[in-house]
Order: sequence, then C-alpha cells, then structure tokens
Amino acid sequence: MDLLTLWLWPLVALVVLPAMLVYFGLHVVGRGIIFVDLALAQIAALGIATAILLGADPEHGSLPWVLAIAFTLAGAALFSLTRFRHERVPQEAIIGIIYIVSAAAATLVLSRTAAGDEEIKNLLVGNILLVSRTEVLRTIALFAGVGIFHYALRRRFHLVSFDAEAAEKMGMSVRLWDFLFYATFGLVVTSFVRIAGVYLVFSYLIVPAVCGALLSAKTTRRLAIGWAVALTAGVSGLLLSTQWESMDLPTGPTIVCVFGLLLAVSGAIAFGRHRREGRPARG
Amino acid sequence: MNSRLFARFALTMAVAGSAVPADAALKVVATTSEYGALATAVGGDRVSVTTIAKPTEDPHFVDARPSQIVAMSRADVLIEGGAELEVGWLPPLLEGARNGKILVGAPGHVVASEGIQLVDIPAAADRSQGDTHLAGNPHFMLDPENAKVVAAHLARVFSALDAGGAAAYAANLATLSSTIDAKMLEWTAALAPYKGREIVTYHPTWRYFSRRFNLVAETFLEPKPGIPPSPPHLAEVIAKMQSDDIKVLLVEPYQPRKTAESVAAHNGAQVVDVCQFPGALPGTATYVDLIDVNVKRIAQALAAGTH
Repeated sequence: MDLLTLWLWPLVALVVLPAMLVYFGLHVVGRGIIFVDLALAQIAALGIATAILLGADPEHGSLPWVLAIAFTLAGAALFSLTRFRHERVPQEAIIGIIYIVSAAAATLVLSRTAAGDEEIKNLLVGNILLVSRTEVLRTIALFAGVGIFHYALRRRFHLVSFDAEAAEKMGMSVRLWDFLFYATFGLVVTSFVRIAGVYLVFSYLIVPAVCGALLSAKTTRRLAIGWAVALTAGVSGLLLSTQWESMDLPTGPTIVCVFGLLLAVSGAIAFGRHRREGRPARG
Repeated sequence: MNSRLFARFALTMAVAGSAVPADAALKVVATTSEYGALATAVGGDRVSVTTIAKPTEDPHFVDARPSQIVAMSRADVLIEGGAELEVGWLPPLLEGARNGKILVGAPGHVVASEGIQLVDIPAAADRSQGDTHLAGNPHFMLDPENAKVVAAHLARVFSALDAGGAAAYAANLATLSSTIDAKMLEWTAALAPYKGREIVTYHPTWRYFSRRFNLVAETFLEPKPGIPPSPPHLAEVIAKMQSDDIKVLLVEPYQPRKTAESVAAHNGAQVVDVCQFPGALPGTATYVDLIDVNVKRIAQALAAGTH
C-alpha cells in the first residue's frame, strides 16, 4: 500500500546495494576474517572522532568524511601488512585487537571534546527506514564504481583471497592487492553502515556467503545463491515490518531474523543432500 | 514467498484491531508524551493522538519504527518541542513521511517552544559546551506555567485547522488551565518549606521546574549536557554534596541509576526517581498527574533530608 510511496527508497536500497556486499562476503568468509567489517567501521568512527577533536562540526563540513576515508585507508594498509604467511598469529586476533583499540581510542578522543558517543553513533549508524533519495543514489554510484573495478580485476582479487601462494608465484604483490581489497571493502562497508546500521552490514556480508557455501562449491553459483538470499531477506523483512502494522517491528532486526531463518533452511537442505548422497555436500 | 498474502492478512488484522476513533477530526502526532498528553487534554475526543518517543526513552535519541513514519504521513498536526531537542531524529522522519501538512512552516507543524522564554541560552555558539542546545534548555514543559502557554498554542492551531471544534477546544483549554492554576497552589505549598534548597540532577532537565518552585538545581552529574560523567567531575559533585549538605539526587528512567546511587552513597543522599514524560512512572498518565507525582516525590525526599 504505502510500499511505493513511503518505503520506496528503503526498498531500492535493499534491492540494489546488497549485490556488492554479498560479493565481498564471499571473500571475507573465504579469507576467514569475519569481523573485519566491524573493525573497519570502527576505524572510520575514530576518524570522525578525530575530526571533531580538530574542531569540525560533525553534521556539516567535509573534514569528518575526509578523515573517515583516510582512517579507513590506513586501516586497510594495517590489515594488508598483518597477514602473515605462516600463521603464528591468526589474523582474526589482529582484527579483534584493532577493533577494540580503535573503539577505546575513539572514546578517549571524544572525552577530550564536547560531543557525546551517541552523536558519533548517530552519524555512523543509519536506519534503513530513513534513507533519503540522495543517500541511496550516491551509495549506488559508489558501489557501481567499486563493482566495475572488482569485475575488471576479478581473477586477481579471487586469487589473492583464495590462493595467496599461487598469486605470489605469479609475481603479484599480495600486500598491494590485499590493500586494494581492504580499501574498496572499507568504503563499501562504511557507507552501508551509514545507511543501514551495523547489524545489517554484518548480516548481508556473512549470511548469504554461508548459505552459498552450504549449497554449492562453485563461486558463481554461491554468488547467485547469496544474491537470492539477500534479496529475499531484505524485501520480505521490509514487507513484514512495514505492512504488518499491528506488530510494528523495527525493520533492521526483522531483516536480520529473516536471514537467520533462511540460513536454517539452507542448512536443512544441505543436511538433506548429505543424507541422500551419503557424503558431504560438495557441489 | 506468500508475503503479499500475508501482508494483506496482517493489514486486515491491524485495521480491525485499531483503537483510533474513526470520527476524529484531527490526527495529531506528538514527538514526546507531554505534548501528547496536552493534545489529548485540549483536543478531547475530536483528536486522535500518537506519540513517537516512548516516555521511558531518551528524547535526544529515538530509533525510527515503521508505525511512526506511517502515523506522520497521515497526520494533520505534528507537535515538536523545538529548541533542538529532537534535532537528531525528527528531520529524517519528516522527510521520510512526505506529508506537506506537517512540514516545517506549515500550519500543522507546531513548535511548542515558540512563545516560551527559554533559559541557558549559550552566549557563544560553540561545541565546547557539550551537547548544548543553542536555542536554550528544551525542558521547559516541567514548568506548569509554560504548559499553559503551550496548551493555548495547541488550542489555536486545532481551531484553525478544525473550525467546527473551536468551541470545544476553547472549553477544554479553560478546564485545563483552571485545573493547573488550582493545582499550582497545592504544588507551591508542598515545596514552599524547602525554598532555596539545592538538589543535584543527572542532566539539566529540572532548571525550569526548580525556578518555578524556588529550588536550586544547578549541579549535574553530567560534566556538560549529554557527556557521560567523568571520574574527576563526579568527585567534584560528591565534594559539593558533602560540603553543601545536598541530600536529594534526581534521576530519570533512561539515566544510569547506578552512577547516581554511587554518588549519593557518599553523603547518604536519596536517589529519587522522577520523570519529565507522562507515562514514564506509575500514576503519571496526564500532565497534571505528572507534575503531581514529581512534586510529591521531591517534597518527600527534601523532607527526609531535613535535619
């Protein structure tokens, strides 16, 4: 009813934007760095906090966003430098440490300024119901740019994520390609968090990729399954929360719970196949 | 997916279960419940009122739910406090609701702080003073005299938009004003013995209330409005409470009671639960009840703290 008037831009955002997140999700799950998105978003927050310390007005002015991007790029460099060839320290540990230290550092920086934690949170964490046309269109443009970049160089990005040794043998600089990966990933994650919040960015990255991995071994098929899962969860979550008026469910959490259901369904299908074929589902 | 079918079913349920009177002349949306309560008092059964922020929710931060945008898209009147209290979340909600009747500047958009003399207006507009509202302290509704001004404002707007109800609105306004006037004598008498006494509050919420009832509420647990208490600042507050023998510390439902308790423990002060929004504490459904409960609780605590 109100779907195409009141909820048009949330709907467009939920149909178009997840495409990029599902793609990055395959890489993130493949690399085993599940929490890197939260760490990058937190580094961006530290950038904004620093801008406020330097006297910028967080709601207007460009310094906060310039610093958010600069910090994200620095974080990308840090992540590409901390990938050890012989894993004595799992990268997930480094990611966790970077996350918690930048969160604490942001709190320290903010305690030197007059802005509250909540203020930064409001800036960084959006609500999908309130996205504006400009925000959605700008983010689609950014995602399209990143998408074209990754599509053009897809073989190299794939190799560096899933078979770093082979990439190195081919003479590719793993650190450089890791940096490009994290930098583009950071831009995508930070701008999506701004539109839809932390819960949704995490769900869109991880759940479709895991569903894909459960149901197929082929990358292209995993991508297709992931897109289908993301589209179903986003659109039905939005419908449930906006059309089922008597319940008045908040939209983001509704979508996350639909994701949970879809994962359970994928798991059941994979388990059924495994029983039927008498071997693990491998394709 | 059967979500279309499901959505239609859910919609039917929602309409069937809806409690809004179908014959309400005006659909009113209020950002916080004290405006909702006044709108109900002035509008009576000619208006249906929806409140966006829950009374127990910090009005500086409100997370949008679908129903709120739907209510705003159908509203004839929107009441906001103004003075930047809702500045963090109302503009995107307004944009999302796409309703010309309640846009800023439209006759259906009521800014309650218009016509109110605000306090704490910062001399210099800069962020070093914390989450300071540049327009002034927005918690003016805790002064009943201000509530009368806002009620009259609402009656004017309702009458302009629904001329057929003008007489009813005027009568309701007169009833409300005379009730407040009568209660005012009671409230003033209840707090009169404590004239000039100091109280500590978490946030500068009680500035208008304390001015009206001759109390002093100028010490806050927050070092600056909206900034969580830091240890050195709390130490200062504790020292002040000890040296000035301040025995009453007010907290509201969404403020951290633990912090208040640990501060109050140092000199045996009493932590008192109060609220600025009708419905946040038991027995505060209407505006008059709200002030009544707050006055009683504060008077009781001040009496207990008297040696």
